[in-house]
Amino acid sequence: MQSIISSYNYWIYILLMMIGLYAMLAKNNLVKKVIGMSIFQTAIIVFYVSTGAKEHATIPIIAHGHGAVEAAVDVAHYANPLPHVLMLTAIVVSVGTLGVALAICLGIHRRYNSLEEDEIQEQL
Amino acid sequence: MSFVKQAPVLLVIIPLLSALLVNILGLVNRRYCLPVAILGILGSFAASVVTLIRVIENGAISYRLGGWPPPFGIEYVIDHLNGLVLVTVSFVSLLAVIFSKESVKQEVPEKIPQFYTLFILLVTGLLGMTVTGDAFNLYVLLEISALTGYALIAMGDNRALVASFNYVILGTIGASFYLLGVGHLYIMTGSLNMADLLTILPGLYSLNAVFIALLLILVGIWIKMAFFPLHGWLPNAYTYAPSAAGCLVAPLVTKVSVYIMIRIMLSVFSPLYVYSIIGLSETIVWMSVIAIISGSILALAQTDFKKMLTYLIVAEVGYMVGGAWLASAAGLTGAILHIVNDALMTLCLFLFAGIVIYKKGGHQLQDLAGLYKKMPVTMAAFTVGALSMIGVPPTAGFFSKWYLILGAIDAGKYHFMAALLVSSLINAILFFKVIEISYFEPKVDHHGGETEKVIIDEAPLTMLVPLIIVALSLIVIGLYSGDIITNIIQHSVPAGLL
Amino acid sequence: MIWQLDLSILTLIVICAFATIMVKDLLSAAIIFGAYSFLMCLLWTEMGAVDVAFTEASVGAGVSTVLFFAAVHQTTRRVRTRKSGRMLAKVFALMAALLTGLVLIIAETDFPGFASPFTPASLHLSPYYITQSLHDTNVPNIVTSVLADYRGFDTMFETAVIFTAGLAVIAILRRYKRDDRCDLPEPYVISEGYPDTIIRFIARQLAPFIQLFALYVVAHGHHSPGGGFQGGVILGASFILLAISYDSRMIIGIMSERLNILLGNIGVLIYAGIGFLCLLLGANFLDYSVLSKVLPATDKIMARSHGMLGIEIGVAIAVMAIVISIYLNIISHGKYDKG
Repeated sequence: MQSIISSYNYWIYILLMMIGLYAMLAKNNLVKKVIGMSIFQTAIIVFYVSTGAKEHATIPIIAHGHGAVEAAVDVAHYANPLPHVLMLTAIVVSVGTLGVALAICLGIHRRYNSLEEDEIQEQL
Repeated sequence: MSFVKQAPVLLVIIPLLSALLVNILGLVNRRYCLPVAILGILGSFAASVVTLIRVIENGAISYRLGGWPPPFGIEYVIDHLNGLVLVTVSFVSLLAVIFSKESVKQEVPEKIPQFYTLFILLVTGLLGMTVTGDAFNLYVLLEISALTGYALIAMGDNRALVASFNYVILGTIGASFYLLGVGHLYIMTGSLNMADLLTILPGLYSLNAVFIALLLILVGIWIKMAFFPLHGWLPNAYTYAPSAAGCLVAPLVTKVSVYIMIRIMLSVFSPLYVYSIIGLSETIVWMSVIAIISGSILALAQTDFKKMLTYLIVAEVGYMVGGAWLASAAGLTGAILHIVNDALMTLCLFLFAGIVIYKKGGHQLQDLAGLYKKMPVTMAAFTVGALSMIGVPPTAGFFSKWYLILGAIDAGKYHFMAALLVSSLINAILFFKVIEISYFEPKVDHHGGETEKVIIDEAPLTMLVPLIIVALSLIVIGLYSGDIITNIIQHSVPAGLL
Repeated sequence: MIWQLDLSILTLIVICAFATIMVKDLLSAAIIFGAYSFLMCLLWTEMGAVDVAFTEASVGAGVSTVLFFAAVHQTTRRVRTRKSGRMLAKVFALMAALLTGLVLIIAETDFPGFASPFTPASLHLSPYYITQSLHDTNVPNIVTSVLADYRGFDTMFETAVIFTAGLAVIAILRRYKRDDRCDLPEPYVISEGYPDTIIRFIARQLAPFIQLFALYVVAHGHHSPGGGFQGGVILGASFILLAISYDSRMIIGIMSERLNILLGNIGVLIYAGIGFLCLLLGANFLDYSVLSKVLPATDKIMARSHGMLGIEIGVAIAVMAIVISIYLNIISHGKYDKG
């Protein structure tokens, strides 16, 4: 069962990436392209986070209480924190790109009164 | 704090801090923006020169950010290759920002503080990409340069918004492919530091995942450098950008992407893997041949002067990618030298285009008519740039082409040599056409026998001086090419190549 | 890591992704995108990535969806249905997607097993972070310590990225005088009527609690999931909530454009400034241990903890200002007067 689950996780991110890539290139509407871009980027984040997941492991915050003595920390007990850090950065970057892309869409709509790529091409 | 010791990080931090300062001062009075911008980039230029000198004397430098030893912390590694590229980037940025003074007032008058902040942030991003030794840090800085690039291009005139949107979509695909490739490397090795990856990967060379990681990174970087056929975003984006932005973006962004490709090839995947084990050299050299020929032919077909220049950039990228993948020492030397030369040549041509737009308001070929008499100094500088693109000694362009051709002969890839020669010929045709158009007056009716007295109407000084400096530097770098190669580039080419 | 939950969430995610692409109405697409983001957030919580999930919930499902709404509101809801117009583009896109998928599946066969504690990624660098983080920096949240200290330089540029995005939106959209290039009528008349009492009352009551929670998230980021980004976004969201339920003019009165730009700059300056301070004190950039020379009664390890708190505050200020600024610019179509 475990092997199906492990493949399933990776296959889903590949499927999401394909959906996002297709939407970015094939769709006519600019906002749909931007949505595709977001899906593409979140799929990559799924991939990275899966590299950090560990079976029977808890979140990477070391359990401590008031006045607890530093016990020996068991590595296998905690999920891998490094991909989480990288993906925090990736999420912020993707939201920045989203903001810029939407601003450009708005500018295009103001200028050409349309968000459809073929109509805009006709007007150029 | 010693300037020399901290120079590796200062050359990125000084522009970053000055960008923030420019933005804050812009709220007060927009006349403060330009001086602060120039000072910021000047500081970065000084730091990069100091660092290059240190590298030439002592060898590669490593700088630990946060004090943590790599691979736990982020590391800046400066060796001969990126020392050279750093100096080039800061030098070109300095000239571009001086040029921007008049152009910005004409083209984006109400958004001057935002323009300069984005400008300097782009420079920061490019410098940061060049100097880092950590694969993920490179991604973050890649995104900074990308975002600032999108915004700077979108600030241009009529078709700029659509061009910028296409750039956003394709650029994001490129950066995301790079990120995915780094993710594949991470999942197979557990490390993000380039030097660390170089030691861990050899045990994994037989795996498909490593090969696919290289492919993903390559495709991502090729999109960013507009390697044919992934170049679709470049012509429109660079043509419709504001002139000053174009002078920064066009010479630098694609060249830094070429540098990243060479860095990944040599310092993450070793030359052994890239040239011998995977057997992609033949295919990629053929792709570069197609890129060079298509770029040159498409440039010939243009009536818009600026768009012609952008297709020439596509061809030049083909030179560098082909040179890097020839698997010969001379080829790699030529590619690295061409990074520097092409940055300067493209700056020269785009500065010229910016001056034409400032004076004439348009960038079609017919706008160049009569410039020979009206702006002799500008045309002289442009002619130097054109000669360099064609590859005429003693300009810089000749020497890098020479090494590329030598490399092609060494590696037995005669089709690449043929493409280089054909491209030089096409460039010659192109530029002689341009010079011919500029020599003759525009067709104007003369009433009776009146002869028009030619008034010399040169570009303003802040635009002219950078152009002259670039043209002179093309000649100087050409004359000193031998020294540059022996002292700097030689040390970056791995031993053992043909 | 309960695999049944994993599987069901993944299936729902794929369905949402298909739906958001296929739907004809842009507003529905934005709503389904919000659901997609939220499901992603659940998935990551279930995989143990709580900080990432928190960030996605606030930044992805929160701010992204609001930005989509604002953009769709300002433009048009309908997606024009074309017949077979763009066949070539669609075929090319399909082939590109399939090729990429194929390449990635080939790579996937080499991957180490999912969720195994013996992968190279788990054995190489992260044991150091997990075992030494508390000892080196006195911060139990390992993600925060890696984010703000070990890889703090990346985070500084991440803050610069969000700053750049805010700046870019201003540069692209902002109109200062009447543009005679554009004589198209404003798409929607902003309805001044219907001041909805219930929504306004609740929004006004909730806002201070939201802000308090945001400050808690920033301050407690060392011990629980959270930190500068999440806290800053939640702070910004409280203002956006007020802007939506009342009118943007109220928020523009409080957070004028100059104030936003100033705060954004100050946030990044705090971050870079702390790093620069470490430079001036003689250590490398962002090496907080040297701050023990200036901070009273701290040793090198606590100095790292305080340095991290300092930069988190800088990040929160910058992110709050930028999020508000992007929203206001989009909703007012660049004019920054009403919405």
